[in-house]
Amino acid sequence: MPAFPRSLLLLPLFVVLAACRQAAPSLPAIQVEISHVVAAAPLVIGETLTTPAGETLSVKRLQYYLSNPRLLRADGSWQAPPQDLQSPEGYYLIDAAKPETTHFLLPPAPAGEYSGVEFTIGVDETRNGSGAQTGALDPAHGMFWTWATGYIHFKLEGSSPASPEADHTVTLHLGGNGLQRTVFLPFAPKPVRVSADIQPTVHLHADLAAFLGGAAPLKFAEQPLVMQAKDGLPLADRLGSLLSVDHIHHEPAGAPHRP
Amino acid sequence: MKPRLVPRRSAGRVALLAALLLAVFGGLALNARGGVEQLVGYLALQRTPTFTVPAGWPRPIYDFSNNPITDAGFALGRQLFYDPKLSRDGSVACASCHQQFAAFAHYDHPVSHGIRNQNGKRNAPGLFNLAWQPQLMWDGSAHHLELQPLGPLANPVEMDQNLPDLLIKLRADAEYPARFAAAFGTPEIDSQRLLRALAQFTGTLVSANSRYDRYRAGDTDALSVTEQTGLASFRAHCASCHTEPLLSDFSYRSNGLDAEPKDPGRSTISGRDEDRGRFRVPSLRNLGLTPPYMHDGRFDTLEQVVEHYRSGVVDSAALDPALRGGIRIDDGERDALLAFLRTLDDPAFAHDIRYADPGAPR
Repeated sequence: MPAFPRSLLLLPLFVVLAACRQAAPSLPAIQVEISHVVAAAPLVIGETLTTPAGETLSVKRLQYYLSNPRLLRADGSWQAPPQDLQSPEGYYLIDAAKPETTHFLLPPAPAGEYSGVEFTIGVDETRNGSGAQTGALDPAHGMFWTWATGYIHFKLEGSSPASPEADHTVTLHLGGNGLQRTVFLPFAPKPVRVSADIQPTVHLHADLAAFLGGAAPLKFAEQPLVMQAKDGLPLADRLGSLLSVDHIHHEPAGAPHRP
Repeated sequence: MKPRLVPRRSAGRVALLAALLLAVFGGLALNARGGVEQLVGYLALQRTPTFTVPAGWPRPIYDFSNNPITDAGFALGRQLFYDPKLSRDGSVACASCHQQFAAFAHYDHPVSHGIRNQNGKRNAPGLFNLAWQPQLMWDGSAHHLELQPLGPLANPVEMDQNLPDLLIKLRADAEYPARFAAAFGTPEIDSQRLLRALAQFTGTLVSANSRYDRYRAGDTDALSVTEQTGLASFRAHCASCHTEPLLSDFSYRSNGLDAEPKDPGRSTISGRDEDRGRFRVPSLRNLGLTPPYMHDGRFDTLEQVVEHYRSGVVDSAALDPALRGGIRIDDGERDALLAFLRTLDDPAFAHDIRYADPGAPR
């Protein structure tokens, strides 16, 4: 695993700087925080958990892209920042093992009430075909296939005694066009308010049990290794159940944040 | 591999300026003009290539507007292309399998030859006119010119070099930070700068100066009568896939090499079974410089290639319908076709000093 580039730590700073440059007067941007869980319990890298299929799994690596966030206004219209194909803004590489990647600021939005946020899980087809990228999209992060150029949208690696692979490894790489999934996360029970005196934070749960479970829970005994788009396609819909809103904070702007 | 390019070019500029001053103020003697033209011609060869679309060619796919070609950017890409540091053990450069005299194919190597003396599984193709290719590699695995180098860099039988480690190596190098600064304004080295510098070199490898090109441009003497007969034969039997003027339609087809392909080819990338054994239609430009032929380099000579199409095409589900039953031409037409195929070489490109190893003694 390559060392995580420190430049990515600056990403939220860039978002803030962009916000300062763009909006006058500047408003606090909505912060997103993600907790990685397995049903009700926290996901701990390297510790053994039980999957919905009843197999045990030790997660070594859980990484995925969230991209192209847009906010649903109370009146049903969308708030989305303009896309710049030369900028990595609006692309977030989440790594369950790296706390600094599990919180970020959404692009600045005007004051008002928002009833939900939409993300692409993965890297959209346009950006997937736009050449060498920077920031979260730098191929040096390892979320990139070199034998069939394109981003890996979601990566789960670990080991499970159920896996028939050598050393019982589990390798799920979902990548390639057609495997990106769009999720809409409603802000419940009440909308998120953006205003000068409030710092809103949306706390998400990324639930590995929801991803692995569902009507037909994934069995590593049968599917320990997915590294091609065509093999990953049947699993891509599971991305849609990974994320949910756990709770929402509205705190005074500038106050120390309580997670 | 300290390049001597920069000091030499500065000297060249001084010489050019001196020559111009001489021409303007000196009332240049008529018999000296030939020498000045020669000097100007030599200096032109030292320059960074400009990317121009040859007359009658389609619009390129690669868009240089996001990666404008500069002297320092091109020079950096050229240096990187020839630098074995790009491989894990410092033994193999891009140029190891892409030799200029072979139009950047790997001369006399059926398949590429990577680090630790490992053989690859496919023939290293010539590199030219890449800016027009919608995808690269035999199976189209690279969908963007800038991203293509990531394939051979990572492949354990080619350069076996992971990207983060390569960036660490380049950042620690005595020369590269300054060269990246010259090319991109600051000395930071990231993968985008690395890949864009390489694309400034690979994207400007334009080969459009064969005898066939001169004939197309209206010089009817550029091809002999036999070669012109061969051109007519080519247009009747080959040009539906080897489309003019790039001499490929860049589609993926089976040309009937095997009933049961050993290499799945395009199907690995497309995920479609019907693409098994299909490969990108290669351009026929520089054909005489780029043996051996086919994705696995199985044919050493053009005679073998043409004979394959005459008598060796093997039927399979993937076989291109146009090749079912082979291409029917008699021996005379075959000889004319072979004569024409040799007019597709562009020796000026294969010897263009601007694309040569910047560290090689000259």
